[in-house]
Amino acid sequence: MLELFFAELRCSWIQFRRYPFESIAQIVITSAIFYGLFLGAGYIADSNIQLGDRLDSIIIGYVLWILVNFVIANISGGLQIEAQTGTLEQLFLSRYGAVKIFLMRGLAYLTLEIINIIIILFIIILLTCSRLYFPAILVLPFITVLLGAYGFAFIIGSIALLLKRVQQVLPLFLFPLLFLLTIPTETWEGTAGLFAKFIPMTPGVGLLRDLMARRENLNLITLVIAFINGIVYFAMGLFLFRVAEKEAKRRGILSGY
Amino acid sequence: MIALEANNLRKTYCLNNQRVEAVKNVSLNIVSGEVVAFLGPNGAGKTTSIKMMAGLIKPDSGWTKISGINPHRNPRALEKLGAVLEGNRNVYWRLTPQENLEYFGVLKGLNHSQARKSGIALLERFGLQNKRRTAVQQLSRGMQQKLAFAVALVHQPKVVLLDEPTLGLDVEATEEVKILVREIAASGCAILLTTHQLDIAEKLADRIVIIQKGEIITELPTDELISKFSGNTYQIEMESVLDEVRITKLEQIGVEVEEKRIIYVNQPELIYQVFDIMKPLQLKFVEKAEADLTQIFLKLVKEGK
Repeated sequence: MLELFFAELRCSWIQFRRYPFESIAQIVITSAIFYGLFLGAGYIADSNIQLGDRLDSIIIGYVLWILVNFVIANISGGLQIEAQTGTLEQLFLSRYGAVKIFLMRGLAYLTLEIINIIIILFIIILLTCSRLYFPAILVLPFITVLLGAYGFAFIIGSIALLLKRVQQVLPLFLFPLLFLLTIPTETWEGTAGLFAKFIPMTPGVGLLRDLMARRENLNLITLVIAFINGIVYFAMGLFLFRVAEKEAKRRGILSGY
Repeated sequence: MIALEANNLRKTYCLNNQRVEAVKNVSLNIVSGEVVAFLGPNGAGKTTSIKMMAGLIKPDSGWTKISGINPHRNPRALEKLGAVLEGNRNVYWRLTPQENLEYFGVLKGLNHSQARKSGIALLERFGLQNKRRTAVQQLSRGMQQKLAFAVALVHQPKVVLLDEPTLGLDVEATEEVKILVREIAASGCAILLTTHQLDIAEKLADRIVIIQKGEIITELPTDELISKFSGNTYQIEMESVLDEVRITKLEQIGVEVEEKRIIYVNQPELIYQVFDIMKPLQLKFVEKAEADLTQIFLKLVKEGK
């Protein structure tokens, strides 16, 4: 599988290097959208509004939402493009199987996209004068968010494998997710708080907000919950993708629509 | 050695609340180095059959094996298979030929170094070494198809499936593909080829399989199939037009004359009487009239209807 990962990484690097405008456009558009919303919010409330760690929390949620967008676009969007351009069946002729290929592709893509994410984050920090803290321990809750993101991406990917076109369906998932990742679900109590633990990625995102915006210590119990959340969604995503693959082969619809 | 086996493959689809039996009962064996042409009218079940053999469509019943391994049960079978599929690009247009070969080589089970070496050798063999760093979208259709072949062969498979490999290619590129197919078969690969260009199938295939409405209606070695449908008629063409006296004499012995120059002798025992009548006129050629695959195919398909 390491050979496959490096092959995907080489491929991703070639395209990253050969088509730099796509990355630049991505960075500019994503940063501009957030800054536009930020200025809009400032205009509506008060031009001297001080959001403090609330702004930091929203930035973390927004950047993570962008990351999730990238992951989903890479897997389900990639699948759709492969079906349209006619290379999807060649991937299914590999002995590795579609799940491993798309997973390694996703990880390879992320390895390079992380650079874009970091640049976007720092542009937003500079524009909004926000202050975020980056302790090394944040890697652990970040991994839980990634697990959930990939699981979610594979769930959408399984729909893409059967329907081949998911452009209209994608906003139905992505915009509610923006809402869920930017609001501080970790502060919900009672039933709402319990419900929040079942939403994909939110426990991990909450932990990242605690570490980076509120400068709190890592809560180990919440970290365990975040890992369980991430692993469950990841396993669900892989399972549904395999089911979709079997169904696509049964229906004879791997290629085309 | 049997490289590809398919046994009683069946596939039914539900389309607009109707059951459509795309493949009813297809069984096929191909040995190493053999080229089998899989022919049939549109909608006969060729592509569905091929994709079931490749593991891309799950058969409702029956099984298939590539070098003894079932691709639906064990993905390692796919290490022995290469395919150029119709209606697909088969390669990434944003990458160069070398990058495509290295990528797909790893996907098919090689490590990067092996994929690189195999890729370089294939680029040279297919005459693409000067274009190895050019993005595929900038190559001609013929070069793209040659690259698709190279990608199918990068891991030295035992079986190659070619679904309409000459579709959309010009005459020169088609001739190059024919040479490639012969070379691939000569290297020991079993080839299953589908095409609507029957002259290509006739020239390349060791065996012809004709499918119609999901069932195989004929399966014979190419020579045997053509002999079976060819009679004993001889065709003689003269350099110049025959005079009326000779035409009358020929018609009297029961020989057919066409356009006053072409003579059809249905009874072989008459051939020397015909030569006596023709003396001393110049002959252009004399040959035994063989049916061609197009005529045979149309006849069989019509009978099948």
